[in-house]
Amino acid sequence: MADTGTNAETVTLTIDGQDVTVEKGTTILQAAEAMGNRVPHYCYHPGLTAPAQCRLCLVEVEGAPKLQASCVTQASDGQVVHTQSEKALTQRKGVLEFYLANHPLDCPICDQSGECKLQDYVHAEGRKRGRSREPKRVFGRDDFGGDVLFYGDRCVMCTRCVRFMNEIEQNPLLTVVERGNRSVIDTFFDEGLETADFAGNVVDICPVGALVSKDFLHKARAWDLDHTPSICPNCSQGCNIDLHTRDNRVQRLKPRTNLDVNQHWMCDYGRHRYDWMNRGDRVEAPLTRAADESMTRASGWNEALEPLAGRLDELKGAEVRAVASPFASNEEMASLKALVDALGGGQIRYRSPRTDEEIPLPGFPTLVRRRDLAPNVKGAEILGLTRVGDDAAEGGLEDLDDFEGILLVVGDELADQPDDFGSSAGLFIYLGQYPSPATRTAHGILPISTHAEQEGTFTNHGGRVQRFWPGTHPPGAARPGWLVMAALRAHLTGSAVPAGAAEMFEEAARSVPEFQGLGYPHLGTRGAVINEPVKLPGT
Amino acid sequence: MAVTVKVLRRPAAGKTSYLRSALKGMGLTFKHMVNPNKATHQYPEEPVKLSPRWRGTHVMEVHADGRPKCVACGLCPTVCPANCIRLVGGEDDEGNRYPIVYEIDEFRCIFCGMCQEVCPVEAIHVGQHFENAEFTRERFVYDLDRLMEQDHESTLLWDPSDPRSE
Repeated sequence: MADTGTNAETVTLTIDGQDVTVEKGTTILQAAEAMGNRVPHYCYHPGLTAPAQCRLCLVEVEGAPKLQASCVTQASDGQVVHTQSEKALTQRKGVLEFYLANHPLDCPICDQSGECKLQDYVHAEGRKRGRSREPKRVFGRDDFGGDVLFYGDRCVMCTRCVRFMNEIEQNPLLTVVERGNRSVIDTFFDEGLETADFAGNVVDICPVGALVSKDFLHKARAWDLDHTPSICPNCSQGCNIDLHTRDNRVQRLKPRTNLDVNQHWMCDYGRHRYDWMNRGDRVEAPLTRAADESMTRASGWNEALEPLAGRLDELKGAEVRAVASPFASNEEMASLKALVDALGGGQIRYRSPRTDEEIPLPGFPTLVRRRDLAPNVKGAEILGLTRVGDDAAEGGLEDLDDFEGILLVVGDELADQPDDFGSSAGLFIYLGQYPSPATRTAHGILPISTHAEQEGTFTNHGGRVQRFWPGTHPPGAARPGWLVMAALRAHLTGSAVPAGAAEMFEEAARSVPEFQGLGYPHLGTRGAVINEPVKLPGT
Repeated sequence: MAVTVKVLRRPAAGKTSYLRSALKGMGLTFKHMVNPNKATHQYPEEPVKLSPRWRGTHVMEVHADGRPKCVACGLCPTVCPANCIRLVGGEDDEGNRYPIVYEIDEFRCIFCGMCQEVCPVEAIHVGQHFENAEFTRERFVYDLDRLMEQDHESTLLWDPSDPRSE
C-alpha cells in the first residue's frame, strides 16, 4: 500500500480523455479503477504481486511502441492512456479468444457462473462466437484437499492461487506444473491443502471456476444469493465478511475487504462455521410460566413482558446476577447492563470459549485467528462484564445453585447446566435463541435473534467497533435481545425504548467512555477504534 | 332521429304453416351430414392435431441410460416469469451435476416456453399436449419423475415449415 501521507507526490495523467491525479507509484490499472474505469485483469489482485502474465489488462499509452500491461505500468505525469481504443480492444479480444481455446464453456454446471470474470470479460469485450475447431485439452477435476476442488479445464493460469500460497499464506503448497498449454496448477504429490489454514481464500481470488469450494458445490447459483455485510462471529479478530444468503439461510461466508482488519482474507476456521446460523431448533415465541404453574405457555410479547416486568418490579432490591454471552452485540450487552442497573445493579458475567492456539496469516500478520473464539469479548470487557468458567465456556455458575435473587441469562445456551438450573431463583428469565433443558425452571423464556438476523456492533480484539447488518429473518416472534431488555426496562423505569440498534448504541455511548463519540453513521462499513482511556503518568 | 316502431302483423292462427321453414332447416342439417367440408371434430374419438409450436405441459428429456438431461444450472427458475419451477441441484455418484428436486407447478405456469428457450442442454421442454385433467390439485405439481415420464411431443420453438416466421 502506498503511503497515504499528505506530502505524497502526485502525478496527473489522462485516461480515456479524463484527467486523473494519483499518488506517484500508482499503476495505470489502479488509477483507472480509482476513476471507475475497470480494466479487465486476471493475474493482478490488490493483495498480491502482479506478474503481468495474463496479458488482459493491455492498454494503449501514447508514445509507447506497444500496448502496456496496465497492472505494472506506473502512472507518470502527462501520460495519455486509452483503455478503450480500437487497438486495445482488438488486442484484448484476441487474448480472450486464446483463453477460450481450451475453456470447456461448462457455465451451466460451473459454480462460478454468475460471478466469473471470464464470463464477464467475454460478454463485454470478447468475440460473439468462437472460431476454434481443434479439440480441447481435458484435465478433469482434482481434489486439492481441505475444502478446495480444482477443475483444471476452467483454469486461466493467472496463478493468483499459487502467489497467495507463496506470499500471503507463505506455505507454498500449490505450483504450476508442465509448460505451454499443458500447464496446470497442482499440489505436491499427496500433500494437499489440508495443512493450510487460509486455503479458502484461493477459492475467493480465483477469477474463474477452477477452484471451487466443496462446501458450496452445487448449493446455490451466484445470482440467487443476497449479500449482507457482516462481521465474522467465530473469533475476536472481527474479520469483515459478507453473508451470502438464499431462502433465509446462510449459504456461505465470504471475506469483505477491510484493509485495517483482514485485508481481503479470512481464515478457514471462520469461513466454515456458519451452520449454527441456520439452526432450526429455535425458541419462536415468548414462553412464560406463573409462579404456581409447572408448564410454560406461549404468548404474544405484551402478555409475556407485562407479568415478567411486574415480577421484576416486586423483587426490586433483590440481588441480581446475570449471565451474558460473548456472542451478543455491544447493544445487547449495554441493554442488559442498563436493565441490571435499573434493578439496583448486580454482577454480570459471561463465559467464552478459548483455545491455546493462535493462527496468524504470515503475509498479513495482523490477521490472526484469535484465542477468543467469540466475537465480542472485548466489548464485554469494556462494558464491565466479568469472564467466568473455563476455556470450553463451561462452569463458573456454581454460585447460582442456591441463589434466590433475580437471575437473567442472555444468549448463553447453558449446555453444561443441569435441568434444575436456577430453580431456587426468585425470578429466572432466559433470553436465548435455542431451547435448552437447563431452562426448565425459567419463569420466562424470551426468543431473541442471532447475529445474522439483527443489526448491531461487535468490538474486536483491538477495540475496533464494527457494524453488522441483518442477513436473514428471525424465526417466529424472535426479536433482538437489546430490544427485549429495553422493553423490560421501559416497564420498570418508564424510559423510552430505543427505536433501533443505532439509538441503543448511542445510549450506550453516552455512558461508556470508550464508545463516546462513536455512532452508526461514523462507524460505516469499516468500523472505528474505541477511545483508549488515557492513563496519566503517576496515576 | 325520429324513432319509429314497425309493427309486423302476424298471420292469424291456422291461416299459415311452418312446414316450409321446418323443411328448409332440416334440409340444411342433412346437407351438413353429408358435407365433405364439415368443421365438426369428433373429439375425443378423433385426436386433435396441434400446431408444432403449441406450448402445453412440460417434458423432461432423458439420456439413453434414463438419467434426466437437466444439469441443474438454475437458468429456468431464474427466467421463469411465473416463478413456478423449484430446483435443488446436487451431484450424483459419477460426479455429474443433476437436479435432486425439480418441480414445476403447472397451475402457476403461464406456458411462455422461456424455460425451454433458456435451457442450455435442451432438457426441459414445453409440450404439444393439453389433456391435463386430474382429480386432485396436488397432481398438478409435476416432479422430476413425472416430467421424465411424459411421452408427448415437445414443442418446437419455430415452425419447421416457416423457420423465420415469415
